[in-house]
Amino acid sequence: MTKNVFTFLVGGKAGEGVKKAGSVAAHLFSSMGRYVFQMDDYMSLIRGGHNFSVVSTSPNWISSHYMNANLIVNFDKRSCETHMNDTAKDGLTFFNSDEQDDAEGIGIPLTSESEKYPMKNLMYGVGAVAILASTIGFKKEEMNQVIKRQYPRGIDDNISFANMIYDMVNSECENKFPLERGYKERRIISGNESICLGAVAGGLDVYYAYPMTPASTILHFLAKQAENFGLAVVHAESEIAVINMAIGSAFTGAKAMVGTSGGGFALMTEGFSLAGITETPILIVLSQRPGPATGVPTYTEQADLSFALSAGHGDFLRIVASPATVEEAYYLTSEMLELVWKFQTPGILLTDKHLSESSMTVDIDIERAKWAEPKMHEGSDYKRYLGTEDGISPMLFPPSKEIIKWNSYEHDEFGITTENADMITFMHDKRDKKLNALIEDLKERETVNIIWGENPTNVFAYGSTYMSVIEAINFGKINPTIIQPIYLNPLPIWELKQFKNQENIVVEQSSTGQLTSLLREKAGLNIKSTIKRYDGRPFDPIELSSKIKEVL
Amino acid sequence: MEDLKTYAENTWCPGCGNFGIFTAIKNAIPLLEEKGIKKEKMVITAGIGCHAKIFDYLNLSGIYGLHGRNSSNSEGIKIANPDLKIINFSGDGNGLGEGLAHTIFAAKRNQDMTFVLHNNSVYALTTGQFSPLSEIGWKGPSTPKGSFEIPFNAISLLIEVGATFVARCYAGEINHLTQTLVKAIEHEGFSFIEVLQPAISYRKWTEYSKNIEFLDKEPTTKEEALTVARNKHKFTLGIFYQGIREAYHKSLYGDLNPVNSSLSREKRLQKIGEILKP
Repeated sequence: MTKNVFTFLVGGKAGEGVKKAGSVAAHLFSSMGRYVFQMDDYMSLIRGGHNFSVVSTSPNWISSHYMNANLIVNFDKRSCETHMNDTAKDGLTFFNSDEQDDAEGIGIPLTSESEKYPMKNLMYGVGAVAILASTIGFKKEEMNQVIKRQYPRGIDDNISFANMIYDMVNSECENKFPLERGYKERRIISGNESICLGAVAGGLDVYYAYPMTPASTILHFLAKQAENFGLAVVHAESEIAVINMAIGSAFTGAKAMVGTSGGGFALMTEGFSLAGITETPILIVLSQRPGPATGVPTYTEQADLSFALSAGHGDFLRIVASPATVEEAYYLTSEMLELVWKFQTPGILLTDKHLSESSMTVDIDIERAKWAEPKMHEGSDYKRYLGTEDGISPMLFPPSKEIIKWNSYEHDEFGITTENADMITFMHDKRDKKLNALIEDLKERETVNIIWGENPTNVFAYGSTYMSVIEAINFGKINPTIIQPIYLNPLPIWELKQFKNQENIVVEQSSTGQLTSLLREKAGLNIKSTIKRYDGRPFDPIELSSKIKEVL
Repeated sequence: MEDLKTYAENTWCPGCGNFGIFTAIKNAIPLLEEKGIKKEKMVITAGIGCHAKIFDYLNLSGIYGLHGRNSSNSEGIKIANPDLKIINFSGDGNGLGEGLAHTIFAAKRNQDMTFVLHNNSVYALTTGQFSPLSEIGWKGPSTPKGSFEIPFNAISLLIEVGATFVARCYAGEINHLTQTLVKAIEHEGFSFIEVLQPAISYRKWTEYSKNIEFLDKEPTTKEEALTVARNKHKFTLGIFYQGIREAYHKSLYGDLNPVNSSLSREKRLQKIGEILKP
C-alpha cells in the first residue's frame, strides 16, 4: 500500500446497506478534500448473498480501489470468510459479534444494538460509518452532520445508534488512522452518471433502453433527470424496439442515444445496420460484462471489443471509442455524439461494468464538452443521399415542404429503392468516403492517450483497465510508457505506428486477448505478452504491478 | 394528387389490392389538408414486403424501415416530435409476424399513429408462404401439407391490447377506406385499420367480394366491440371500436416537444454545473 492511500471495505448481505455505507464513506473522504475511488461488488440477487464496497482514498489522484484494506467492517460470517486475507498490515477488522465470536478482529454487537431500533439491520451501514469515523479521528459532531445528510430516514435513531457504536470503537482505536486533509472537496460520480451528463452536454434529446446491467443506471439517471433537461426517456419492450425508436427520433433531428450490454447489443445489430444504410446518427453505449450469453451480469470484462468493431451486416462506417476514466466518459460521450452527427453514421461508446458502476471524485471542465450539429440543407430540391466530396449529405428534418426519404433498401440520391448496378456502387462509394473524412477529422483530436515513461517496454490498455494500470504503475514505482487508445475504430494507426518496432505488452480483461489481436492485426505492433484477467473482477493494483514487473 | 406520386416504377402485380390502398391514401390526404392536417407534417413508415413498396410510390417523407420494425421507427418519430402525424404501413407478416411485439406495444401505449395493416394473408413477396393471418390449410412452399396454425383475429387482438380506434376495410371499397383513413389519422391515439388486400397472384378478388358485408352499427363499448369482432366473420367491414385514452407522448412529458424545445447548450451546461457541485 502506498503511504498515502487508505482503504475502507464494508461487506454484508444485499439489503443491509453495504453499497450505501461505501458511498457515505466516499463522501466523507471527499469532504476532507481527498480523492476517492469506490468499487462495488454485488451479486445478481435482491436479498442475501454477499456484497461488498471498497473505497480507496488518497490526497493525490487515485484511479483504482485496493483489495488490501486498512479498515474492514464485516456485517456477517460470510463477509469475514471472504475478506479473511484482505486486511492490510497494521489494518483493523471489525466483525458483528452477534453472528460469531471466534472471528479475528474486533467484535461489535451490531445485531443486538440495532434491534433496539425499528429499522434494525437496515442500520448496519450507519454502524460501519461510525466505525470509520471513529478510527480516522472524525469528531462526533462532524460524523453526525454526515449521517444527517446521508441517512435522512429516521435521523434521530441513526444518530443515537452511530454515537453508541462510535463510543464502543473509540475506547480501543480512536484516531488509529489519522488522514491527511486536502484543499478541495470534489463531487463523486459514477461512470454511467458521467456518460449521461456528457450526452446531455453534447445535445441529447431522447434516450431509449431496455434494462440491462451494467447499463441500467444510465436509464435510471436520465429518467430521473428527464424533466430537468427536457428529454424523452423511454423504457421500451426490447432492444430491437429501442434502436429502431432511436432511428425514428433521429429522423426528426433529435439527438438520440441508447444503452445496453452485450446481449442487448446483439439484438440491436439489425437496427445498427439500418443506421448504417440510412446514415442515421445514433450513439450506442455498450457497457461490457462477462459473456458469452447471460454470462456474469454484475461483474466486469472487456470481451465485446471484436463484436463492437464488426457488429451489423454489410459494409458501413462504425465509430467505436472507449473512455478510460469517469471524467473522460463525460468528454468522450459528447464528442461521440458530435461525431455521429457530423458523419451521419452509428457510433459505439464502449465501456465496461468497472467504469460504468465505479465512482470517483471528479474535476470536470463542463465547458470542454462538444456539441452535436449536423450539416444542414438549404433551399429546394432536397436529396437525402446527395453525393458529395466527403460523402456527407446535408440533412433536413420534417416538417418540411421538401420530401425526406430514409431507406433501408439500397437507394438513389432521393431515397427511392434501387437495384441499379451503377447506383449500388455509387452509394457504397459515397458511404465509404466518410471513413477518409473521419480519419482526417480525428487526426486533429486526441485519439490516443500517451503517458511517456523511461522504461523501454510500453504498456497498452483501453477502457477502465487503463485506470488499473495507472494505479499499478504508481504503486509499483515502475515507469513504462502507457498507451491508451481512445478510438478503436478507426484505429489511430497514425499515432500507434511509432511503437511498431518496440517491445509492447497489453493489459486487458479478455481471455482470448481481443485488444492484443487488434493491435497486432491493424496496427502491426509487436506484442511481447498480454496480462489477462477474466474472472469478472477488475485488476487489483498491487497484483497488477507485480505482473507488469515480471514482464518488463 | 399527381404530386403525391414519385417517379418510382410501380412493380405491384397488375390488379393487386395494394393499388386500392394507394388510391385511398392519395384521396385521403387532400381531405386531411382541408381539415388542417398539413401534408408536410405527415410522415410515413413502411416495413418490408409488398405493402412497403408504397413508400417508394407515395411522395411523402418518412422511413422505409426493416421487416417488422417500422412501427418502432414510427414511435420514435412521434416521441421526438409530437407535432408530426404518423402513417405506418405494414403487411400482416411484417406487423403480426416479425413485428408482433412492436405492434402490440404501440397499441398498449396508445401511441398516436395510424397503423394500416395490408392484410393479404400470405407472404407474397417471398413466394407465398403462410402468414399470421392465413387460414388453416393454406398450402405454401413452407407448408406443403397446409398450414395447421390458427390465424390471429387482428381486430379483436388490437382492441384487447389497447388500440383506441380499430376498423376493417377492403381494398375494393375505396370510398369507405378513404373515409376510414381520414377518421383514423384524425384520431388522437393508436388507430388501426386492417385492410383486406387481395394479392392477385395468390388469391382471387371474388373470394373477397362475394363475402364482404358491413357492420350494421358501430359497437359502443370495448366489451361489445370484442364480442362483435370475435363473432363476425373476417370479411366484415366497419369501425369496430373507438375509445378515448391519453396518447403516450402526453403521459410521458405533457406538452413538451423534445426536438423543437431542445435546451440550449448554455442552459444544459448550467444545469450540469448544478449537478456537479460537491
